[in-house]
Amino acid sequence: MSQEPEPQHQSNLESNLELDETEQLPRRRFLNLAGAGLLTIGFGSLAESVVGGLSEPLNQQVESLIFKPQQPVPEFPTSAIEPDKLIVNSFRGTPAIANATYRLTIDGEVSNPLSLSMDDLQRFPFTDMVIRHVCVEGWAAIVQWGGVRLRDLLAIVEPSPQVKYVYFYSADGYYESWDLDSVMHPQTLMAYQKNGEDLTPEYGAPLRLASPIKLGYKLSKWVTRIQLTSVLGQKRGYWEDLGYEWYAGL
Amino acid sequence: MRSPTQTLAAKIFHWVSLVSLFLMITSGLQIYNANPVFGGRAGIHIPAIFGLGGWLAGGRHWHFASMWIFTLNLGCYGVYVLLTRRWQHRYASGKDIKALATSQNQKRKNYAWHRLVYTLLIPILLLSIYSGLGMYKPAQFYWIVDSFGGWDALRITHFMAVPITLILAGIHSQLGRKVGGDRLLDSMFWE
Repeated sequence: MSQEPEPQHQSNLESNLELDETEQLPRRRFLNLAGAGLLTIGFGSLAESVVGGLSEPLNQQVESLIFKPQQPVPEFPTSAIEPDKLIVNSFRGTPAIANATYRLTIDGEVSNPLSLSMDDLQRFPFTDMVIRHVCVEGWAAIVQWGGVRLRDLLAIVEPSPQVKYVYFYSADGYYESWDLDSVMHPQTLMAYQKNGEDLTPEYGAPLRLASPIKLGYKLSKWVTRIQLTSVLGQKRGYWEDLGYEWYAGL
Repeated sequence: MRSPTQTLAAKIFHWVSLVSLFLMITSGLQIYNANPVFGGRAGIHIPAIFGLGGWLAGGRHWHFASMWIFTLNLGCYGVYVLLTRRWQHRYASGKDIKALATSQNQKRKNYAWHRLVYTLLIPILLLSIYSGLGMYKPAQFYWIVDSFGGWDALRITHFMAVPITLILAGIHSQLGRKVGGDRLLDSMFWE
């Protein structure tokens, strides 16, 4: 495992740059795509600003209250896997990533920032699970994911005690943020295998998030950087910034 | 003939049910359209005019806000029905089934149908909460999903609550008029 200690201010600068790249255009495009009349579009904006604003804090409190951070979700037998049901969703196609030059950076408010190659990652204890992957759209698929427990990686970077959130940045510009409890869940993996085989590019190769406790849009593909932080910024995730709920716990 | 009167609790329950069910169903159809239960993305979509929220995120916001009103309303009414012992004589019983089978009195039979239909609405509404909770939090309430045998059966059940509720509620309002006339309807909502 190689390490690339970085000065703190530099990594913050970098994260700001990445965040500012996000465009606001898709929101308008999406509302048009919804094919709804003026009335329903009005309701849509109203929902996000008023209804969502009122109900989401309550719902998020209930969601984190019923979430059991240390308790694994029951798994399925491998015979229950549904290989055809996992739909490929991405917001900007599939980025080309060369496995040989790929690095995963873990930085932010940590004492020991890391940069890992795929070989480095595969030396960590291998974990696999057969879980239900649930999409916000309403479909679900039983999938086997294999990879590294995220909490094993976090243990090595030594997060500072005030860390509460974790940002995930992807090669295609997608970004997500999670609460630390969910990141530390025993079934939250950085996966490089799906259904017993190497992950393929459209499903997030070389490395993606996989977990039974969050909706699919939280499970970033093509993750290249994991940043630990004590503050949740204005930008909280690609879909969240367009109106989806942030916690998205299952 | 004495005009029918309703308790305030029954009126509140009917009003809040009407409004919250409208919000739950329209926002639910908006969510449905993101990936139709039958046929997936290529499946049959609900016309956009019936959807509430404009797009998936808006529909979900409405759905998960209205669910509190809908559920608390039903829960409070349940407590009221228990405390006032209405459950002992206000709902369909063996007597109504017997009347439907043997009675020659058409009015008694209409009344039996009326009681049967509104009694049936209650488990349907409870089932939509139970199945909805399983879809909302399938990891924490994995046993709810298991109790339906899997995700697809759970989704179909939750969706089917919509047409069943609409049909039963429609019949309920018509049977109410048949049994008590417009005065009964008025007494529940206006007077």
